[in-house]
Amino acid sequence: MTAVIETVGVGKRYGRLWALTDCTLSIPAGHVVGLVGPNAAGKTTLLNLATGMLAPTAGTIEVLGGRPAAGPAQLARVGYLAQRAPVYAGLSVADHLSLGAHLNPGWDADLARSRIERLDLSLGQKAGTLSGGQCAQLALTLAVAKRPELLILDEPVASLDPLARREFLQDLMEAVAEQGLSVVLSSHLISDLERVCDYLIVLVASRVRVAGPVEELLATHHLLSGPRRDPGTLPAGQQVISASHTDRQTTLLVRTSDEVLDPAWTAAEVTLEDLVLAYMNEAAGRGRHNHRLEAQS
Amino acid sequence: MIWLTWRQSRIKAASAAVVLAAFAVLLAVTGPLLASMYAVSTLGTCQGDINACGAYADDFLQQLDASHGGGLILGAGTYWLLYLLGFVSILVAPVVIGIFWGAPLIAGEFEAGTHYLAWNQSITRTRWLAVKLTLTGLAALAVTEALSLMEAWWATPISLAVARGACCSPLAMNQFSPLLFATRGITPLGYAAFAFALGVTAGVLVRRAVPAMALTLAIFAVFQVAMPLGVRPHLFPPDHTIAAFSSFDSLDVPIENNTFTAIPNGWGDQPEAWVLSTGAVNTSGTPVSAVPADCLQAIQAASGKASHPALLDCLTSHGFEIAVTYQPASRYWAFQWTETAIYIALALALAGYCFWRIRRRLS
Repeated sequence: MTAVIETVGVGKRYGRLWALTDCTLSIPAGHVVGLVGPNAAGKTTLLNLATGMLAPTAGTIEVLGGRPAAGPAQLARVGYLAQRAPVYAGLSVADHLSLGAHLNPGWDADLARSRIERLDLSLGQKAGTLSGGQCAQLALTLAVAKRPELLILDEPVASLDPLARREFLQDLMEAVAEQGLSVVLSSHLISDLERVCDYLIVLVASRVRVAGPVEELLATHHLLSGPRRDPGTLPAGQQVISASHTDRQTTLLVRTSDEVLDPAWTAAEVTLEDLVLAYMNEAAGRGRHNHRLEAQS
Repeated sequence: MIWLTWRQSRIKAASAAVVLAAFAVLLAVTGPLLASMYAVSTLGTCQGDINACGAYADDFLQQLDASHGGGLILGAGTYWLLYLLGFVSILVAPVVIGIFWGAPLIAGEFEAGTHYLAWNQSITRTRWLAVKLTLTGLAALAVTEALSLMEAWWATPISLAVARGACCSPLAMNQFSPLLFATRGITPLGYAAFAFALGVTAGVLVRRAVPAMALTLAIFAVFQVAMPLGVRPHLFPPDHTIAAFSSFDSLDVPIENNTFTAIPNGWGDQPEAWVLSTGAVNTSGTPVSAVPADCLQAIQAASGKASHPALLDCLTSHGFEIAVTYQPASRYWAFQWTETAIYIALALALAGYCFWRIRRRLS
């Protein structure tokens, strides 16, 4: 499995504050990868490192086998739609297409024009007067029409209304299907990603909590409920991600590659949202725990 | 990238072109009138050297002053105003360029976040910056130097009058005077390059256009005051000489408590030199300020009036002369080149810092 983004112990510090610490991950090619995590998990920092907008303070990062933004060739292989989809307010839609054509040797003018026509954007309109959704679509057009191998999107739908969200993601999926791109998109809302991603990475406080193909994650995670019981007594192959107890009942999210055979449990299908929230909670709990230990020592 | 730079700055380019055109029209209309005024003046028709025509040179300049007589078509004071307007335009152009072209050049992209768009096209940000800096910077130099050349052409009659011996009109400025030195020759190029680079650097550091503009204005103002007052006189070691009282066009000798100060005006020997300091000395070259006893009587005869010929004659009879510290006129272009080189070097250093910062450190 070749990696589109490969990081080893990568970290980024702003002054005395670390936005990302010791992050090691490998994002495989040929997928639409969702990068999920709470705010301040380091998602944007990671994506900015991957596009060379930032240089890492520690560790190494490789994108498509090269150093991010190392030169024109590397830049041509990666498309980036940054947070809030910046466009030049004073330039028209047509100007943006010219910009793309002038600055990208691999520019696909037909693709760009047909996308703009389909999206019903008027060429003469100034980008500053476009709606949030239209700006995002214009920025996506620029990122797609340069014909990258990897498309990186940072919170692409965060500022869009639900209808625009759906349209944007649908449109993105069409572009992906046509061009066979690898895609990495970040969000703190799993509901945005559920429909489009086939690979998921949960990033909490710079750490990868879980990563894998969505189908596989759903198949190996089970929501178990049964009579109250200590999670420590589960078979060795079952890893407890989250546990909640009432006086009589215990509900567990467990990860296991084997089938759950114990008849005491009622097993239920897990949703992607349950899964992501469980991993985020687990990390938060562990963080509190660590904190308490530090306070004691 | 050239296309994008042009597309982003064409409104600024158009406004600069409008200002230049307005300036050019104003000077093109009034310049020939000024020239014809010169041609028919007593100075213009006077054939001969400074001794023969020097007095007419001041007459001509006084014609241009508001308080004296009418002009040909325009009121005479108009030329004086135009002359000043020219200076102000050339002095202000670099800082206006630094503020409105330099400061927002990169800071504007940071503010709008559009550098995320620009830096993710298939072009390195080094090239992006290089094209932006080069094109806009060259335009800044061209605009400022164009203003300077137009003004110098327009003011040819005034320069001629000064060269032919005018000394005492406010328009008769020495070529080293801060106003004239900073607006003629090649110094405007240095100022424009420095102000522009300063604006860009301030924008890269502050990342907000408006504070960067304020910072540009403040720092550039400090440089423009410090350079003529503190640095320029010391660029070359000055020459020293002793000159007779009579070699000056006029000499004021105010007296207080039996000590005098000699304040000479217009150095006839070297009218185009830059006089840095002067002081009275005796025959052995030692500075003097006490009025000799016999000269006090001469003052009483002259009822204490400064510069009275009797007093000057008396001081002269004691062998007093004026020690002059000065930069000879022949160093004018050495000063021009050195100062311009300093500013260009500063501009290049700032630009280099911008490249380093944008490539390495940028968040």
